[in-house]
Amino acid sequence: MESKRLKKIPEKVTIPLKQHDGTICEAIVKKGDPVLIGQKIGRSTSYYSSDIHSSVCGEVLSVEEAPHPNGNKVMSVIIQPMDSMETVEFVPKKDASSEELVTLMQEAGIVEHYGAPTHTVLRPEGKQIDLVLINSTASEWIGGKYKTPKEYASKMIAALKLLMKVAGASKGAIIVRKDDKESIEAFEGVEVNGKALEVAPLVGKRRLGHYFADQGSNIIVASQERIYGKKILNFFTYNVTGRKVKIGCDPTDVGVAVCGVKSAKALYDAVHEGRPFYETVITVHGTKGCPEYMLVRIGTPFKDIIEACTFEEDVGKIVANGVITGVAQYTDEVPVTKSTTSIILLSKEEVLRDQSLACIHCARCVDVCPVSLVPSRLSVLADQGRFDECRQMNIQNCIECGRCAVVCPSKIHILQLIRYAKDAIAKAYADAAPKESSNLKLGCSGGE
Amino acid sequence: MTYTISAPPHKKEKITFSSINRSKLLALLPVSIISVYFFGVPALGIILAAVLTAVVTEYGIQLIFKQEVTLKDGHAAMIGLMLALLTPPTAPMWLPVVGAFFAIAIGKHAFGGIGSYIFNPVLVAWVFIRSAWSVHMTPASIPHTGQFSDLLLENGAGLLAGVSLIALLPGVYLIYKRYIEWRVPITFFLTVFFFNQVIAFVTEIIHLVQEGVLNPLIYLSTMFIFLELNEELSYAMIGVVLFGILFLATDSPTSPVTKKGRMIYGVSCGLLVSVYGYFGNYVDGTLYGIFLANGITSFIEARTMPATFGQESILERTYDRMMKRIPSALKFEVISDD
Repeated sequence: MESKRLKKIPEKVTIPLKQHDGTICEAIVKKGDPVLIGQKIGRSTSYYSSDIHSSVCGEVLSVEEAPHPNGNKVMSVIIQPMDSMETVEFVPKKDASSEELVTLMQEAGIVEHYGAPTHTVLRPEGKQIDLVLINSTASEWIGGKYKTPKEYASKMIAALKLLMKVAGASKGAIIVRKDDKESIEAFEGVEVNGKALEVAPLVGKRRLGHYFADQGSNIIVASQERIYGKKILNFFTYNVTGRKVKIGCDPTDVGVAVCGVKSAKALYDAVHEGRPFYETVITVHGTKGCPEYMLVRIGTPFKDIIEACTFEEDVGKIVANGVITGVAQYTDEVPVTKSTTSIILLSKEEVLRDQSLACIHCARCVDVCPVSLVPSRLSVLADQGRFDECRQMNIQNCIECGRCAVVCPSKIHILQLIRYAKDAIAKAYADAAPKESSNLKLGCSGGE
Repeated sequence: MTYTISAPPHKKEKITFSSINRSKLLALLPVSIISVYFFGVPALGIILAAVLTAVVTEYGIQLIFKQEVTLKDGHAAMIGLMLALLTPPTAPMWLPVVGAFFAIAIGKHAFGGIGSYIFNPVLVAWVFIRSAWSVHMTPASIPHTGQFSDLLLENGAGLLAGVSLIALLPGVYLIYKRYIEWRVPITFFLTVFFFNQVIAFVTEIIHLVQEGVLNPLIYLSTMFIFLELNEELSYAMIGVVLFGILFLATDSPTSPVTKKGRMIYGVSCGLLVSVYGYFGNYVDGTLYGIFLANGITSFIEARTMPATFGQESILERTYDRMMKRIPSALKFEVISDD
């Protein structure tokens, strides 16, 4: 299923100069400059940054602070588009070396959906990656980018090979969701290095290592239950590979790079067509007339996307990136960025107006928690500011999936309280010196 | 145009505290109706007196202490109804009134209201009136499920809740709909069920030893005891026990929150009830047993806090250590994980 392109060119395009974690880009255009589609308008100033490109052809109105979907205001380039599809010349680089690919990725502005620039995930400073994973367990990242399932599968494998080349990793895997029939069918029987692949289910204690040996291939496809949440990487890595990531570290510390479908596709496009990352596929929920998948230019205000849909009632709430963990927007002027995956519209009646009551210890939150925490107790401790006790109860394992707050009959804001405690702990321990003993150094990689 | 902003999640499940209470009230409706049919007007009087007193007491306390009035959540009404169902129909009308007042005022509000009390208010009040006016609170008869019709309508019922086992089954539906969690009732029921079977088994073995039987086959054949239902079970499978399993033990503030803890709590409820029931009777046994089990809830909870994900349990760790000692030539599994 291919997505529909948002036909109408918006009146004004706002392209934030920071669409990733790391340092903000420096604008290289100024008021009055003409820009073309795909032209670089923001240059990264450090390794932990990724370039920004114009998604329209037009004239720069201003460079100023504008609303960003994460809730803050960020320096952005505001462009008045013209009705023209003129692009800069795209130069494909099909046989680039590994080093060239790293610079290519940074220059093409490829960023993970969770924020990190992809090249820093694949080539972290001072760490060696030996396994690259493409996480496609959330369907909204897959849907609508390809005409046929087979095309999707072969392009994904090609993209995975590219990612492995960049990282210098020997193994790679694509993780699909167990109940996602479309993707599983697509990957079933795909040929890699002249060998047909089977989609391997991750059950019981079998992890990827087992299937690498079993299938005799360095690229495999595995399926598992859906995991969602804001901070899933460590849990995801443990579930898939069995490698434990310590609290406060990330998967690159154990040699695993986790990429998304979007960035894989963007890398494929950058290499084969020379196109930088200036368009993205998003899903729009809560409307009947809307196509589910929409191909939009980065920088399109939410307003234009909502206008393109036929939403009958008044919009009461706009949520970016998922109904469970997403951020509610205060204005419809916010633009689509590289990390926007979906927009959810709620009518005025659907907006929740709950009052929190006392916890009744019904333990529904304990039952749904995927990382075996006790959210009811954590929320009470966080509310009272007893963060050290939260830390002893492994609060940093929380993947912020929000299921506890969804099922709570007392309507306690558990997710919000846990985030509050996690932030406080992160601030308190940010400048603590790493523990050292005489014979071993306890960092992210050692100490076991 | 203005838009609402709030912290995630932006959609939640419809379940609320009051819907849980209302569903429990509905689930108790069949047994209340049958008890009125069976015992007549006195049962209706007891139910009305208890529910009304509970509601009025809650309203009065919240008014006096300038708290928000929470009658709408149905918790007070539920406590009143449950207490009425644990009263014998012969009790004078003032007894459920005193009981319901005690349940709400002392059992619930003195301990801090919803979610804070450590003992189930219904049981607090029941234990109080049972010990204070035991003449009125002793049931006229102890039921005994002898035949199938006893499941539908128990002629020997002493308390209102004991009139019918079948009428309590809506509680099972509540478990299925996840309004009541399942770990406590299932482990509780299994413990009560197997306790008597194990007792019968042990008695038989001791009996054989005393007779001086030496043939091991005869000892082995005692295992067949597990296949036949024990006589004692007909005293255990009565309405009040099921009421305790489904509605009293599962009261959420008085049971642990951890998964393992709820299992242990269910087993300890079952053991306490069975021990009391075996030597005394199962009607008092259930209520005192659950009341005692409430007392160890917080200890169970504190001891069973879950470890971080991916942590192996002691059993798994020992198994892994043993498997590492075995040379790989002897293992069936050839493909290792790394």
